[in-house]
Amino acid sequence: MTLAASSHTKPRHGAGLSLSPGARAGWISALVGLVCILLAASMPWLVKWPAALTIPAAEWIGAFMDVVLSWLKPSARLFSEMLAYPMTWANVLLIATPWPIVIAVVTAIGWYLGGTRMAALGLFGLSFVLASGYWVESMNTLALVAVSVPLALAAGLAIGILAYELPKFRHPVQALLDIMQTVPTFAYLTPLLVLFGFGPVVGLIASAIYAAPPMARNVLLGLDRVEDDIKDAAVMSGGNRMHQLFLVEIPSAATQIMVGVNQSLMAALSMVIIAAVIGGFNDIGWEVLLTMRKAQFGQSFLAGLVIVVFAMVIDRMSGALAMERKRYDVRVIGILMAIAVAFTLLMWGNLPEPSAFAWFDGVADRVDAGLGAFTAANGATLDTFKNTVLFYIMLPLRIGFDNAVLPFTWGFAWTQNMSFALLGGATVLAVLLTLRGRGVAGAVVLLLAITLETGIAELPWPFVMIGTALLGWVSGGIRLSVLVTSLMGIILISGLWERALLSLYLSGVSVLACAILGGAVGLLCAVSPLAWRVVRPICDMLQTIPLFVFLIPVLMFFQIGEFSAFLAICAYAIVPMIRYTHHGLINTPDDMIEAAISSGATGSQIMREVRIPYAVPTILLGVNQTILYAFSMLVIAALIGTTGLGQSIYIALGSADVGLGLAAGFAMAILALVADRIVQGFAEEQRKALGL
Amino acid sequence: MSNFSDAPAAITCKGVWQVFGQNPEQNLKEALEKSGGDSREAAKELRSRGLIPAVQNANFEVHEGELFVIMGLSGSGKSTMIRAISCLIDATGGEISLEGEDILKVSKKRMIELRRHKLGMVFQHFGLFPHMTVAENVAFPLKMQGQDKASRIARALEVIKLVGLEGREGAFPRELSGGQKQRVGIARSLAVNPDIWFLDEPFSALDPLIRRQLQDEFLNIQATLRKSIVFITHDITEALKLADRIAIMKDGEIVQIGTPTEIVLHPVNDYVAEFSKDVAKGRHAKVASVTDTESPLPENMPDDPGLKTGMTIDTALAKCMSLYEPVPVKDDDGKVVGFVHPHELAAALQAETDQ
Repeated sequence: MTLAASSHTKPRHGAGLSLSPGARAGWISALVGLVCILLAASMPWLVKWPAALTIPAAEWIGAFMDVVLSWLKPSARLFSEMLAYPMTWANVLLIATPWPIVIAVVTAIGWYLGGTRMAALGLFGLSFVLASGYWVESMNTLALVAVSVPLALAAGLAIGILAYELPKFRHPVQALLDIMQTVPTFAYLTPLLVLFGFGPVVGLIASAIYAAPPMARNVLLGLDRVEDDIKDAAVMSGGNRMHQLFLVEIPSAATQIMVGVNQSLMAALSMVIIAAVIGGFNDIGWEVLLTMRKAQFGQSFLAGLVIVVFAMVIDRMSGALAMERKRYDVRVIGILMAIAVAFTLLMWGNLPEPSAFAWFDGVADRVDAGLGAFTAANGATLDTFKNTVLFYIMLPLRIGFDNAVLPFTWGFAWTQNMSFALLGGATVLAVLLTLRGRGVAGAVVLLLAITLETGIAELPWPFVMIGTALLGWVSGGIRLSVLVTSLMGIILISGLWERALLSLYLSGVSVLACAILGGAVGLLCAVSPLAWRVVRPICDMLQTIPLFVFLIPVLMFFQIGEFSAFLAICAYAIVPMIRYTHHGLINTPDDMIEAAISSGATGSQIMREVRIPYAVPTILLGVNQTILYAFSMLVIAALIGTTGLGQSIYIALGSADVGLGLAAGFAMAILALVADRIVQGFAEEQRKALGL
Repeated sequence: MSNFSDAPAAITCKGVWQVFGQNPEQNLKEALEKSGGDSREAAKELRSRGLIPAVQNANFEVHEGELFVIMGLSGSGKSTMIRAISCLIDATGGEISLEGEDILKVSKKRMIELRRHKLGMVFQHFGLFPHMTVAENVAFPLKMQGQDKASRIARALEVIKLVGLEGREGAFPRELSGGQKQRVGIARSLAVNPDIWFLDEPFSALDPLIRRQLQDEFLNIQATLRKSIVFITHDITEALKLADRIAIMKDGEIVQIGTPTEIVLHPVNDYVAEFSKDVAKGRHAKVASVTDTESPLPENMPDDPGLKTGMTIDTALAKCMSLYEPVPVKDDDGKVVGFVHPHELAAALQAETDQ
């Protein structure tokens, strides 16, 4: 008893100089950073990895892939030819069918899945698409989705079942799924382009690859979650393995599998639209890109809206699959179809061509004009806002005070003495904090000062490497530390280090902004149900919109550049932060809240002392999601001007440089993976600490 | 057993209603008007309107230092009742006063004051904060008061010692067993040295052995601290063991209030009788309940087996096995207060079959 007790009674906020592991890790990294900065002048290799020790990873991968691809090319081309058939059929079918019938079919599906509400969504959604004048383009997109999704679903189902049935495949399959989802989509467009040749088939295959992992994950998850009693009942009923699997386990997992179908559809749609950048196909994504390039934002916005409507229809309808639903009268479907057919026959010959509709062109032009007038009138304000954020927050974080503080922006020049003052002051403060038992806070102050002094893009590599290693160690022990260090090491020696740091900087700034703003919004929503009622549909909407569409509004107001990219990333990545924060804060167990109330805690005391500490693991998972979201948007944002890995991937796509595209893509995946594992580790530790 | 009816009331409930559903105040008012104040009719009316009258017209007093148990099955409204008295939810109608202060009228700020200084509460599922150590959990109400760290930890250690958790103050809740967790819950509720102590099924989540052990310790603590207590349980044995008085609830109504002896020997209806059916009455009923204190003492009382008013009937019977004449009954001071015929002791145990 006393023995056990003494091990628990050790002071939690280390007294004297007994530092917690976190504080120790922070201090060691900080000291390494300080040494690097002090010695930078005499030993430049401490900051920049020597070029002589760099391996030309992009070239090597390129050469290797050349061999592999040329070997695969014939069969790939054959596959591409074969896929062209169903795609053409789907295309012809969707375009040749008179539009009233297509609308009626979608409305009928809506009715079948979700009654009046879904039917109305289908009817109005498709009518909007028709009226926008983008009918043909939309049907082309739909044809791509219609062919790629069955491929993805079949592949996903097979992978999921395989991993479930053969335990030794489970780990490799999960690692593969991680990679498939973290390697940015643009990155594998390049090798696919080389393999399958220019054309829509590339988009189709890319979207099938991108859409398969969510299906596989959900199949596996669903099968894992089938209750043991049910499985045992199937065994005791005398079914063989096939019976058990297909008659009992898969049907029992149906709801989860339907969630997979929903996610798979959304992923495919998103990817089909992104794949428009390789062009060659008159689809709606191409339309957005084209109008965006021509700065016709009204049109671009309209086309974007069509995509959003499409996404909403597909998402809500397939989402209904995963919910308990009642049966709706099938006769209504017959009636709907009969009306559509009658209408078509009646109007036969007079049925307007879908392209004849352009009801919103006037609106689009007016939006353009209005936007022009708005930016002309408020250009100065917008620029001031943009420049303030750029010069006073983003730039210092990117290249540090020593380079960012210039007379024409800050009004004075940064001198060496200021550097010494900043670092010296921070050191003194950090030591004081640590001596008062707040070691972690002290280390953070010092690390922040170092980052501000040099900038994220120019952090000395030993500092980043040792920092990552120690962070991995604190978060998940020695194994995680070895993993993240070796992964980061690969980037370091591959010659992509500077670009990786640039990507790290932009995603870091965005994640920071999302964490602060999203956390605040989540907190507000947890306190006020009214706020949540407003914020929730916005979150739903933002999560449905394909990545690509985020670029339109930011471009409208802030033109091409890093700031626009930053805004687009934030708009996309803030959603999980809001959701998880809100969820974590409102799900404190009732008995804890009652205990706090009856202890005489006020509302704000309950929030500070009980709700927030209890929500920490959930909020950390939100941060984790936000990081992954930010990375996936980072590459898309390369279209409107970012530096770093995203840009390299985009350039590689343009020049069909397989080596560069893949190398940069892998580097990006590594960054995402490292961040993911470290944050997950902390979340796990927190959950354990709470006894969850 | 000490008598509390002379002690001032610590808690007074007058006509307390707790109604759940749409617009409860208005509906309750209308239902009471319609039924002319009859609470059963009003409850019926509320149910027909789709509302749930979880507590109906509850009237009782808890005296200072009294251990008042509210007993009922799940869904009887006992948990709602204690939440209304402790103001975790606002009662729909009636008056609840704690030491003369009507808590349905006091400001939110005053209520927080009351909780910080006068009230303590223990929960069925402990309600421990998982991110705090035992000592921090116990010191939490003191932290809310604004006490500085040193003094609140010092006080926390005192209470931790009181509940027998010395040496575990640095542990986290996840490292404790169920019984230990509830000791922490009890310590936390006592940290501010409250006058009024609420316990919501504190021992229900524990296994039987630990439960009995904690009940005994709880009685010991109460013997020294003498708090005014509202204790909720669904276990009749626990109620009879602990209570000075018991209120039995059914479907939101209090059907009987009485001492354990009264409940066991004179149940007001079949519902209450059903509870006490399996209870060994002799172990709970006291000699006082069958003692004749009114009639003059019989002249001829040859035997004095030493019966006392506070003795259980079982114990008394054991002493009177071979006696047939009336025997004297004395109080704690040894003064003769009445007499009892040994056959009446046996007859008391059969009370139920007579009805």
